[in-house]
Formats: sequence, C-alpha cells, structure tokens
Amino acid sequence: MGLLDRLSRLLGLKKKEVHVLCLGLDNSGKTTIINKLKPSNAQSQDIVPTIGFSIEKFKSSSLSFTVFDMSGQGRYRNLWEHYYKDGQAIIFVIDSSDRLRMVVAKEELDTLLNHPDIKHRRIPILFFANKMDLRDAVTSVKVSQLLCLENIKDKPWHICASDAIKGEGLQEGVDWLQENTLQSDPGCEDMKR
Amino acid sequence: MMAAASSSDSDSGKAESNDASSKWLDAHYDPMANIHTFSACLALADLHGDGEYKLVVGDLGPGGQQSRLKVFKGLRVLTESPLPALPAAAATFLIDQHEPRTPALAFASGPCVYVYKNLRPYFKFSLPQLPTNTLEQDLWNQAKEDQIDPLTLKEMLEGIREKADVPLSVQSLRFLQLERSEMEAFVNQHKSKAIRRQTVITTMTTLKKNLADEDAVSCLVLGTENKELLVLDPEAFTILAKMSLPSIPVFLEVSGQFDVEFRLAAACRNGNVYILRRDSKCPKYCIELSAQPVGLVRVNKVLVVGSTQDSLHGFTYKGKKLWTVQMPAAILTMNLLEQSSRGLQAVMAGLANGEVRIYRDKALLDIIRTPDAVTSLCFGRYGREDNTLIITTRGGGLIIKILKRTAVFVEGGGEVGPPPAQATKLSVPRKTRLYVDQTLREREAGTAMHRTFQTDLYLLRLRTARTYVQALESSLNPVSVTAREPLKLHAVVQGLGPTFKLTLHLQNTSTARPVLGLLVCFLYNEALYALPRAFFKVPLLVPGLSYPLETFVESLSDKGISDIIKVLVLREGQSAPLLSAHINMPVSEGLAAA
Repeated sequence: MGLLDRLSRLLGLKKKEVHVLCLGLDNSGKTTIINKLKPSNAQSQDIVPTIGFSIEKFKSSSLSFTVFDMSGQGRYRNLWEHYYKDGQAIIFVIDSSDRLRMVVAKEELDTLLNHPDIKHRRIPILFFANKMDLRDAVTSVKVSQLLCLENIKDKPWHICASDAIKGEGLQEGVDWLQENTLQSDPGCEDMKR
Repeated sequence: MMAAASSSDSDSGKAESNDASSKWLDAHYDPMANIHTFSACLALADLHGDGEYKLVVGDLGPGGQQSRLKVFKGLRVLTESPLPALPAAAATFLIDQHEPRTPALAFASGPCVYVYKNLRPYFKFSLPQLPTNTLEQDLWNQAKEDQIDPLTLKEMLEGIREKADVPLSVQSLRFLQLERSEMEAFVNQHKSKAIRRQTVITTMTTLKKNLADEDAVSCLVLGTENKELLVLDPEAFTILAKMSLPSIPVFLEVSGQFDVEFRLAAACRNGNVYILRRDSKCPKYCIELSAQPVGLVRVNKVLVVGSTQDSLHGFTYKGKKLWTVQMPAAILTMNLLEQSSRGLQAVMAGLANGEVRIYRDKALLDIIRTPDAVTSLCFGRYGREDNTLIITTRGGGLIIKILKRTAVFVEGGGEVGPPPAQATKLSVPRKTRLYVDQTLREREAGTAMHRTFQTDLYLLRLRTARTYVQALESSLNPVSVTAREPLKLHAVVQGLGPTFKLTLHLQNTSTARPVLGLLVCFLYNEALYALPRAFFKVPLLVPGLSYPLETFVESLSDKGISDIIKVLVLREGQSAPLLSAHINMPVSEGLAAA
C-alpha cells in the first residue's frame, strides 16, 4: 500500500489530501455547497438537513479534500469542537438573507476562533456569503462587516459571495482555499511548536 | 432613600449580565418599528409550515385607532392588513390533524374571534347572544306599534334599569342617554329592529384537546365581559363548555387537556384569581390579591401573579401563597420564558424603568436593560432560532434578542454581608483646642456661670412680658388673640412705584362664626403718600376664606424717601383697633423719584 501510494504520488496521479471542516448555522447551505463541489455524477439530488455530521470528498486541481460536513442545528453545534484538531482548513457558510441570525453566526465564529485547538494555528478560513440570489440578501462586504472579519489578524481568510444552487462563486473560493492550504502548513504543524 | 436605591442596584448587579458576559445576543433594535401592542396580542408560529417561525402582532395603532394585523418574517414585515376592531388577544393553534401542520391564527376583538389560516380569513366566530329582558322587549314592541311615546318609554326603561336583574341592551342604554329633541328620531329609526344584547371578549388562550404534544389540536378558551369562560371546539367552533365567574376575567392561564383534566386560572378585575377544574361550573378556589393583577403566568406548578403594587406573588393551584418578590418599578407586562433544551421555565416581567427581569421562583436569574419601558414580551422560536426574546417598547420600538447557546441561567442573587449603607462613615464633627479650653473654663467657674445666666434669664422674661403687654394694649400684632374675634391679617406691597398696589389679606380663623361690621383704616404721612380711600368697610368675613382687599398707594415725594404705613382693623363703635400691621413701603423707583 505504502509503496503504491508513493508511486502514485510521484507520478502525480494521487493528490495530496486535506481535511476541511465545513461549519455554519443550520439552513445556511453547507451540504448544498459541498454537494455542488463534487463531480456532477456524484451529486445527490435532494438535500435534507444533516444529522450529526457526514464525511464527503471532492477534488480540486491539485488537492483532494475530505470535508466534515457538520450539522448546524443548535443541538449539534457542540459536536463541532471535537473535529477542530483534524481540520487543516475551515469553510464557514453564512446565510446572507438571514439578517436576524447574523449575530448568532458571529457568536459561533467567535467561539470557534477562541477555541484552544484553533486559536494558535494558522489555518485558512474561507467564508461563503451564501444565498446571494435571494431578494433580501446582504452583500459579502456587509456580511464581513457584520461578522467583524477584519478582526481576524493571524489567519488567512477570504469571503466569497455564492449561490450554491447554481454553483456561482464556489470555484473562486475553492481556488483560494487550495492556494492557501498549500502554502500555509504543508504538514499541518501548530504555529506554537 | 439613597441607600435603598443603591442597595437595589447592588443586588441587581450580581444577576445582571454586562456586555462581555451577557447571556443575550442583540439581534435587532428598531426604535421606529411603530408597534403598539401588549403581550396578549403577540404570537409566534410556523404559519406556512416551512420551519421558519413568524411573529404575529395585533397592533393597536399609534393612538389606539387603526388596529392592524402585522406578520413579521425575520426583520421585516411580511404582511400587514387592517383588523375590524381593536384586538383583545391573539393565539395560534392547530385546528385539525391534516398535513401540513400549519397552525391557525385567532384574533379576538369585540364579540368575535377571527380565525386566519395561511394568513387568509378563514372563519369568524361570534359569541352567542345573551337573553334580553322581556319587559324591555315588550316596551320596544309597544313603541313599534306607536302605543307609547318616547318620554314614557324613557321613564319605564329607567325603571327597569334600576330594578331588573337582566341588564338593558345597548340600544336602550343609548336611548336613555339622548336629549329630548333626539328621542323621537331615534325611536322611529330603531323601533323596528329587534333588541339584542351581546358581550365582548376580554381574554383568550388555548387549551390542548386530548394530547399534550406540541403539535396537538387545541381548543380556544375565551373570557367574556359577561363574567363567563367559554371553551370552543377547534374544528366546529361550537361551545364545548361554559363556566361562570364572579367577576370579569382579564388574564387566563390553562394547563392540562380538555378531555382528560384541566385547570383554568382566571385573574379578574376585582383583584381575585379564580381556579376552575374540569367538572366545575363555578370556581373551586379563589386567591384574593391585595391589588389588581397585571399579569398571570404559570411556571411549572406555580401560578405567578403580578400586582399593581409592584410585586410578584407565587401561588399553588390550591390558592396557597408561596412567595412574594418586590420589584423596583411598576410591572407593565409578564410572560413565560421556556427554554426546552435546558428544561427551564421562568417568568419575565417587563418594568416601567425599562428593565426586563427574569425570575425562577424567587430567584432573580437575569436583568435585561432596554432603552424604553417594556410593554410586551414574547419568548420562543422565531425564524430558525429556538430561544428568541421579542420585546416591544412603549414608544413603539421592537427589540429582538437571542439567547446564546452556551448561556446558563444561574441564581446570582446571593447577596450576603452588610448593606452598603453601613460602609459610609458618620459625619461626626471634630473638636478643636478651643472646645477643650472652653470645657476647662466651665469646670473651674461653673457656679458663677450658672448664676449669671439665671439672672439674665429673669431679665429676659421680664422684658418679653413687658413688650407683649405693650403690643396687646396697642393691638400691634397682626393675629388677634382674643377668642371672641379670631382674625388674621397680612399685607403685601407690589410694584416699583410711584404707584404701589397694597393688598391686605384678612381671614376669619374661627370655625363657624362669621364676623360682621369691621372697618379698615390706614395711617400714613400725607406729605409722602396719597391713598384714594384711607378708610373703608370690610365685607362679612366667612370663616376660612382669605379676603384680599387692595388699594393703590401713590408716592408723592420726589426725593426717594420711604416711610411706614400703618393698617388698623377696627370694630364699628370701638376706638381700639383689633389688629394692626406696619408696612415698610419700598423706595419709589418711578418718575416722581427721578
């Protein structure tokens, strides 16, 4: 197995694997985004609210992503922190049309950033200001303002406006994620060590 | 007063959540939302069955005029439609078992309940008519056949109003209010109509029919102005049960299920809370409050009543008092806070000082400060968030707060130790060297000091008595001392000059004896002042009234000299004045002086 692995990597057939956490409130579109990033023959047709979490895989041009698609419902949110250690990158999805719960998203983001497993690691965070197609959606600039993203100083982050049903804006985000995951920590080392 | 205020602050400081560690997230604040309502007219429900809960508001309108039904989705108004009359209460409930389980919305206003489904008018339930007085009916029948003229009709109706046990109809009551000229037209217009007597809904709540589940079918429970409680069938809107109360219900609280066993608590306008059971047609227990109730909330098995005396009382369902908590300000509204994930039930009280206090039994759990007095509160699932608190303020503002996922309510009110007033130092004045020297001197020459002081005191008493007798002889005092003529006089000078207005206030201080035949005379230097009337009669003095008697004094001197004017009050036929007053006239600042 090990020999085969090394061989395939040498030949450029097997891509480097990255673990990604997909977080966000319930009904923000996490599963839909992950689904849309998969190859078209592997996409599922109907998306139902995630129970607990699910593990999905998708590939970009040079990386193979393993995504922990977490449930965002209030009662499952305490599961998130069990997977923080494994994450090499974070995708945080926000429902841009749910202005009411933007404060809840900010609260969850703040607890995420202050968690000991996350706080001292320079892991890239990709934000999706999702559901841009809806009538009362706010812009990605406004979302980053409401979530006070400018206060994140020690981690690379990027925000994309997206429409997960059509797939608009997703590729831009994945490209950024690939670039930053490669350069930030090739071996997923903690900054402290 | 100050100590009380500061101590109440300190006891709140423990439970209060400051910004950093607050249990609440500020989701929204709109001071211009223009919502004027109270807790009974707020409801949260999944009206479209899509998992997104909407807020339903029965808005009374800014001046209590244009009442409207408003439905909020997220932060904006989804629909707005006028209501036929001022809403008394709003409730959401499931009326059938069909899928999807979209709850119906009920608004009680006037004698009707308007039921909406999918935000469309669905059903209108009217209260049954009350029996009318047969005598009254006969009278109107006679009026219809012109056997009776309006005046006799009015007299006979008044007779019925005094005696009969069945009150008059609205039509007769309006007729009794009319002027004589309007009666004829009114009778002609209304005599052909049948008289009706209807009542008005004061309060409304829901009661589960036979299942305690969240999505079980519920019955409406109505309280009417006619001192009755009605339970309605959810599907057919027929009356399932009717209960009577000794007073008019204003707040209702129910628990249990209609088909199994239920308890109904009704807070009434007479300041009592009545408790009814399933089979009782009349109240089983009665809780007498010392003041009118302002809210009624059931927390687990305890009934919490807020009273106008700024306090919350906890009672059992058998009417036994458990506890009382005093509030720092008047309670404007109350509601239940139920956090199902942690199994917490607490009562929220919106106060006039802009605070929302949350209590579990006697323990203060949290204080939320708002910029304005809180008029309505509602806690529940809104949008997609389970623990949302909706607050509206007196100015029409809307505040939405979301309870943090990690927030845990703890009883932080355990204030121990002495009150803060004990820590302030007493302001005892310091004693200097001078004081010590003085005490030394007193110790050495105490006897001499005592003797000298006593001699001086004798002299003082003598002189006081002399002056007093002198004043009595010449009647110089402005208050008469004789029991026969109780009078009081004082004089006021107004103006800058050269013309002054001199007002004498004369008062008879006896209990019930008028004074007759008094005269007033002014003594003054005629070279300096001119008075149009220096001598006049006083009207009869009724006891207790102060009589202002005014004259105009003109200063004649151009050298700025001021003098004294004496006022004497005399009795006719006696030369000794009863009272007198001396007025020091001010220096004239007018043209004559310049």
